[in-house]
Amino acid sequence: MAAVKYIPREKLPEWLKALAAQSRVLVPVEEGGSVVFRQYDPARAPVFGSDATAPPKGAVFPACQELFSYAYGKEGEDNAPTLKLDPKTEAQPTVVFGSKPCGARGFLIFDRVYMGKKFPDPYYIAAREATVFVTMACATVENTCFCHWVGSGPADAAGSDVLLTPVEGGYTVEAVSEKGAKFLDNPALTDGAAKAAEAEAVKKASRDALGEAPDIASSPAALLSLFDDMEFWRDQSDKCVSCGACTYLCPTCYCFSITDEGTGTAGRRMRSWDACMHFQFTLEASGHNPRPTKAHRLKNRVGHKFSYYPTLHDGLIACCGCGRCVKSCPVSVDIREIVQNAVAKAKG
Amino acid sequence: MSRLDALKTRIKEALPGLECVIGWQKGYDALHNTPLFIRGEADVDKLEWGALNVHNPAVYLPSFAGKKVGVVVKGCDSRSVVELLQEKLIDRDNVVIFSAGCDGVVDIAKVRAKLAAAGLNAGNAEKVAVDGKTVTVTAAGKAVSMPMAEVAADKCLRCQFPNAVLADAFVGDPAPQVQAAPAADADLAALDAMSVPERMAFWRYHMDRCIRCYACRNACPMCVCRDHCIAQSREPHWLSQEDSVTEKLMFQVVHAMHLAGRCTECGECQRACPMDIPVLALKKHLNRTIHDLFDYQAGVDVAAIPPLLQFKLEEDNIKERSW
Amino acid sequence: MTDPFNPYLPEVATILETVQETHNIKTFRVRFDDEAKMKAFTFEPGQVGQLSAPGIGESTFVINSPPTRMDYLQFSVMRAGEVTAKLHTLTAGDKVGVRAPLGNSFPVADMKGKDIVFVGGGIGMAPLRTLFLYMLDNRADFGKIRLLYGARSPQDMAFSAELPEWTGRSDIETTLTIDREAEGWQHKVGLIPNVLLEMAPAADNCVAITCGPPIMIKFTLEALKKLGFADEQIVTTLEKRMKCGIGICGRCNIGTSYVCVDGPVYTYAQLKQLPNEL
Repeated sequence: MAAVKYIPREKLPEWLKALAAQSRVLVPVEEGGSVVFRQYDPARAPVFGSDATAPPKGAVFPACQELFSYAYGKEGEDNAPTLKLDPKTEAQPTVVFGSKPCGARGFLIFDRVYMGKKFPDPYYIAAREATVFVTMACATVENTCFCHWVGSGPADAAGSDVLLTPVEGGYTVEAVSEKGAKFLDNPALTDGAAKAAEAEAVKKASRDALGEAPDIASSPAALLSLFDDMEFWRDQSDKCVSCGACTYLCPTCYCFSITDEGTGTAGRRMRSWDACMHFQFTLEASGHNPRPTKAHRLKNRVGHKFSYYPTLHDGLIACCGCGRCVKSCPVSVDIREIVQNAVAKAKG
Repeated sequence: MSRLDALKTRIKEALPGLECVIGWQKGYDALHNTPLFIRGEADVDKLEWGALNVHNPAVYLPSFAGKKVGVVVKGCDSRSVVELLQEKLIDRDNVVIFSAGCDGVVDIAKVRAKLAAAGLNAGNAEKVAVDGKTVTVTAAGKAVSMPMAEVAADKCLRCQFPNAVLADAFVGDPAPQVQAAPAADADLAALDAMSVPERMAFWRYHMDRCIRCYACRNACPMCVCRDHCIAQSREPHWLSQEDSVTEKLMFQVVHAMHLAGRCTECGECQRACPMDIPVLALKKHLNRTIHDLFDYQAGVDVAAIPPLLQFKLEEDNIKERSW
Repeated sequence: MTDPFNPYLPEVATILETVQETHNIKTFRVRFDDEAKMKAFTFEPGQVGQLSAPGIGESTFVINSPPTRMDYLQFSVMRAGEVTAKLHTLTAGDKVGVRAPLGNSFPVADMKGKDIVFVGGGIGMAPLRTLFLYMLDNRADFGKIRLLYGARSPQDMAFSAELPEWTGRSDIETTLTIDREAEGWQHKVGLIPNVLLEMAPAADNCVAITCGPPIMIKFTLEALKKLGFADEQIVTTLEKRMKCGIGICGRCNIGTSYVCVDGPVYTYAQLKQLPNEL
């Protein structure tokens, strides 16, 4: 691994401008009370302190993207019908600058699904390969943070390419992937050896602030054992209003819908974020719905993250512990509480 | 006996005949209460009453169709119950309304901003104390006191119904009215002062960050067609799934139109929005029009028929024959 | 450099022929416009495809022509929603999109040398047709083959043009049934599970493959159990709302099993291992 570098806070715009000259740079900025990732604009100061309201999921997995365009036509003397399909899989080189580790880690959960052997997803792969994550380790944690429950932490570099750690006067900068190493070549970055110990202390302090994580190792079996206990799921889901805030703000939620949007003889096939909490998600054309109530749907959401996915993917929990689903839920549904309730109930 | 204890007593008495009683309990941290579904006597003691009961529990009532449930309401929430009754979306015989005087609830977003101004993060809240007209939040070991008037929900500042308009069990002394007549609405005044292009720019700016989670819709007690909503329906295909600002704003306009004269301005749409988009203003704007045209206010009279749910050959305030 | 395979991009295909099977089932015979791709196309009986009407959307249907007959790919579409309604308006010469093959297939290798009982109800005959014709084309590989195919009425019976051949062949035993008496009906009258019990196929060295509406499946499974079939000897197919068809979009799972890639074919033994969410 490359040596630790350092950048003083006031030099950050210099580095960001240099990066923005080469690619799209997304940074967290304040917008109407929320913090969202937007293209870097020197006139808008990025917000690096607290975690963004919405994670940088859209950088790689846009809320809506075109899979291909279609156009019907006629050709030849007999006016034979034609249909032309034109896919667009290219992605724009992008730097996501200043996401918290949980925001970047989310893509590890995507990778196993979208970069599978049988059907690798060309749209995702193009965007993933074109994106670099310059992540900011957390100097503070919040009540909703639980990254340490799911094998991560406030300085987790998994999924990131460069890791910044806030220290007195600026940030230490470490390359944590090969891709990231190429990004440290900027005169604003100086040797950071003198700051390395301080950075490690910051990382340790925020990890310590999270305290001890409960043992949820049995969650895959526990959740499965409660599959038919609909009274349990009714109690867990009573207050849920079945909106999609938890899923759309989740760095690991990767489900989508495909719809055709067009007029007349031409248009586009789009894929857009979809939410398993919506009634329509599994509604069949016959009118049958295998997940007809919010209890069924919440069961699937929690089950997918803490049981099915880890069962299929070497124990990896499909949750990065960012806590957005708790914090942004209009009624404070708390997935931590549900998982713990399930683990406790299954123990009997 | 405190309002809370009196409520608990009445709920305990009624609980055996009810599927559940919906109220509030402490949530994941000191700043957040969360809806409570009381199904057994042990749950009753979890009930909370106070400034952190920000949610409107009326939203859950239509989902209990055919079952008899209890609901604990603030004055504003009671209007949603009444509006649901007006529209026959719930059955009077199947709902038991518990209430007490309300001294207002906080707007968590305002508390968040106050803490941020003091260099603190609401995500580190440890303790909240509400004492008369002051809210004191302790975060990261530091206590910040804020006047209730500065962190109360906007609706509380103009509240005309601090006591339920309809209740089966109203406990304790009624709460005093904030002021005799509603003050001008600052959000609407700000929008009114804008030119049309400025107003469009305002909405484009805010709707740009909409993630289309439909929390606004699902937290709305009057939005009962949420599982069949045109937002996601393909038949009819009124909205595309493209995430353009136009499509997102179109949904908000449809939502507001469906609520014209039905919305009680409980503010749940805006409170629920995870992206802090001021979507309530659209409904308030239409309600003002409804008020001007029909001299009508939603959710105060069970017997009243909402103006857009009826047809009058000659409206009192629409004089088309003299135009 | 050639583009990487794009699993979302359908092959443009032309409808060669359509058959109005019943009032709500229409069959489409299609060929890819790219002849090289059509010639290279292979699949296994039971695999499905996403049939697209770009502008409206796509839906999943089993390829119900067998891989032994590759003049065209056949899909039979029951009108139910927006996409199927649009498909029903299409005729010969019209263009569609096809993403195939998707999903798993019938465990044909395990069936070799065994007796076979097909039990199909209504549109559930479509997936059975693929395997049934495949077996007829490889007749020597299998033991006794019996087909029980039922529908509500004679008018609801798809593939009616083929029924005389199926009932007339001496190397198979075909039984047709309808729910209630109908004028001119020469075959059985009675619910599928009851007729199956009457037929009483011996379970020994036999595989039962059944597909149809949920209520029929429920009672057919009961009948098969009564006849002594073990869970492993019963094969069926599942349907779920699907979008991507490649195990990514997240809606067709039953616990850890994604019907679009791990299914649609399951043995009853496998189904029993899955959580109860049909």
